Amino acid sequence: MTLEMRNIYKSFGANNVLRDIDFTVSGGEICALLGENGAGKSTLMNILGGVLPADQGELRLDGQPVRFRTPAESLAAGVAFIHQELNLVNDLAIFENMFIGRELKGRAGLLDSRAMCQRCQEVFDRMGVDLDPRVMVRDLDASYKQIVEIARALLMEAAVIIMDEPTTSLTDPEIDRVFDMMRTLKSQGVAMVFISHKLKEVMAVCTRYTVLRDGAMVAAGDVADTTVDQLAQHMVGHAVRTESLRQEHSLGQEVLRAQHLSQERRFEDVSFSVRAGEVLGFTGLLGDGRSELFQAIFGSGGKYQGQLYLEGRPVTVRNTSQAVALGIGYVPRDRKENGIIKDMDILENGSIVTWPRQGRGGFLNWKQVREDFQRQAEALRIKMGAQSDRIGSLSGGNQQKVVLAKWLNAEPKVLIFDNPTQGVDVGAKEDIYDTILKLAAQGVAVVVLSSEAQEIVRLCSRALVLFHGRVQGELQGEALNDQEIMRLATGGGEGEQKERMAANG
Amino acid sequence: MDKAEKRKEGAMGILHRLRDLWRGSPLFSTGMALLVMVIVQTLALSMNTSFDTFGQWFQNWLQNWVSLLRGNAGIGIIALGMTFVIISGGIDLSVGSVYVTVGAFLMVLLNTGAGGWLAGIGLGGISAILLALVLAMALGSLLGEGNGLLISYGRMPPFIATLGSMQILRSVTQYCMKAQKTELPDAYKAIARFDIGGQQLMPIIYWAVLAAAMYIISQKTSFGRYVFAIGSNERTTRLSGVNVRKVKRRVYALTGFLVAIAAVIQTSRIGSMDYASAGSGFEMDAIASVIVGGTSMSGGRGSIIGTVFGTLIVAVMNNLLNLIGVDPYLSAAFKGAIIIGAVLLQRKDKN
Repeated sequence: MTLEMRNIYKSFGANNVLRDIDFTVSGGEICALLGENGAGKSTLMNILGGVLPADQGELRLDGQPVRFRTPAESLAAGVAFIHQELNLVNDLAIFENMFIGRELKGRAGLLDSRAMCQRCQEVFDRMGVDLDPRVMVRDLDASYKQIVEIARALLMEAAVIIMDEPTTSLTDPEIDRVFDMMRTLKSQGVAMVFISHKLKEVMAVCTRYTVLRDGAMVAAGDVADTTVDQLAQHMVGHAVRTESLRQEHSLGQEVLRAQHLSQERRFEDVSFSVRAGEVLGFTGLLGDGRSELFQAIFGSGGKYQGQLYLEGRPVTVRNTSQAVALGIGYVPRDRKENGIIKDMDILENGSIVTWPRQGRGGFLNWKQVREDFQRQAEALRIKMGAQSDRIGSLSGGNQQKVVLAKWLNAEPKVLIFDNPTQGVDVGAKEDIYDTILKLAAQGVAVVVLSSEAQEIVRLCSRALVLFHGRVQGELQGEALNDQEIMRLATGGGEGEQKERMAANG
Repeated sequence: MDKAEKRKEGAMGILHRLRDLWRGSPLFSTGMALLVMVIVQTLALSMNTSFDTFGQWFQNWLQNWVSLLRGNAGIGIIALGMTFVIISGGIDLSVGSVYVTVGAFLMVLLNTGAGGWLAGIGLGGISAILLALVLAMALGSLLGEGNGLLISYGRMPPFIATLGSMQILRSVTQYCMKAQKTELPDAYKAIARFDIGGQQLMPIIYWAVLAAAMYIISQKTSFGRYVFAIGSNERTTRLSGVNVRKVKRRVYALTGFLVAIAAVIQTSRIGSMDYASAGSGFEMDAIASVIVGGTSMSGGRGSIIGTVFGTLIVAVMNNLLNLIGVDPYLSAAFKGAIIIGAVLLQRKDKN
């Protein structure tokens, strides 16, 4: 099946979100749809998925003009849209999820579980995955949940599957699993659209690409004929930095020291220290416990054993407001859940941390709040309308900058960044890196937690790799590179390399 | 384009603007609903009563409004606290029981007959009344604080915690007050009955002042903004260094405090209290006022002004039913219809 979109236009009010877009995907292809946040990818796919109507242009399915007014219509025509937030019910079994709304029934009107399981099994066989349809979705890891979503699309006989950033929450082995399955489907003639920021993944799995920038199509072609750098350049419109950003400058006093921190089933016996002006990295695979560790340090992760020292003095942090008062800041992962407050405006989202000191007797000095935020907004180059606009009116990257702004205003002694560039476009990513490095240069002790090895390698002068909640190794200088991180993150020992070298020599 | 068309355009433009306002702001839609009800109520009043001059008509109209506002001041004040509770993502079912408990406490403190506590220790006059007021408000806040502790530190769902305290408080109050016969001092009754220009306006003034204060708290203080933030996203708020438990505790304590004020007003106005029935159903009336006023039941969105409008809408409707002689048995049905209708009107378009 071939799906074509021709001369698509769409605007919201005066804002032209899409201008003259052509997009085609055929069976046996995996087409990457690339672009920064706000480039128009989601709008284009929402038109394809029947969520939004186009202002102009046409859709053709195998040459026949079609029109999708609702998601149900596009699904009936064979176009399935798998959203970034997966649409599965954790408390139901896989087969129940796959047949939700279209359950197979037996004679008495009762559910026919056996038939449903059998149909699921057929789909799984076709996809080449080994899954028991009776397993609860709760017990699946993120990659299998993604696979179940795709299986559900196949069960509905989808010929075109749109995947919106399917790998964001997956670890490397899980990503490989999803990619293997995608290749199997490709060979069976399924058409797939892969929306992602991760260009390496695009290179690994896609056959063709289309790049959008500011609502216009700027490039399209075969993946085999391009490079990561070229794609990145198309996306941002100028060359992108991939070089190391590590800074060589003298470090100050020790700011934060942790000794033997343990919390049952989360992390165990973790010790580290970070000095003023240092950028210390923490990385590992999913389930390494780094977020839990630092949320505990920040006072929002429950009780733990061990001792924390701030500027040499032992401290006990009971709650987050105490942490802020002590000078510890935490920019959380998962912006939607932990970073933004959707019913509040940009200003309030970007200032809530510092309210206690922006006013008197509990009354807020809104003038000061606005001025302080405006200063940060300019420094961070936040693209926004009015401060009083809803936070949801901003793109992901700008939302993340608003979250940064509230912490920069607090002027913490140590600032923890947890996956700071998750779901952020290339341009905003570089702005955030600049901010992190500027902070370190100003003498703030910075801790960066990231699942992207590349991010740690580029930013940090020293990094700890965690494995199942334990420190698996510490890397710095030349040894701090992608390969070493991966080796430690997957459980490889610190001494292993030396031994290997000795054995070879 | 000729003039007629232009005029049509203009009219349509205004309609579109109105429609956008209606959809965009719950305050506008509740305000309009209130306006319509007031107009209907005024018409009903005019047809229902006989008058010769405009002055007479105005007297009737004013009298009707004063008694309407005075009668709803108590619920209006409780609804102010309930607004904060609901915006923070919670619910307080215990307001009626806190009300009766504080009322009973006041009776015991101020009783001029046998068994009055303050009279018993030889305290009388204004100082006794002032002390009783302070103690009553402290008790209200404390009971609210108890709810807050259960919810924030005990990690109980607000519905369950306040359902429990609702039962406990009323039952214990009724048990303790079984044999009490009380008489309140006259000076105490002046709190609500003080005469201004021939009218007893005090309850209305208390309501207005508290509504203004709560509006300012909701907009201008960090506490007020935290309440909205918690209702919208509690995790993010906590991760922004806000002591969420403390804020929640304060929200319930503040509600208890406001309930205590309502109890003072009602006891001084009526002079007695029926411990079995006083305040029962207050929680639902207060919640109804808040919801009709456009505050989101799931938290994060709402307003004090909306709640004042909401209280007035329900009150005006009751008044209207009374004026046109609808059977009192049916008034609850109308109240229910208003709640459902208001929420249907305020429903946002899906996109």
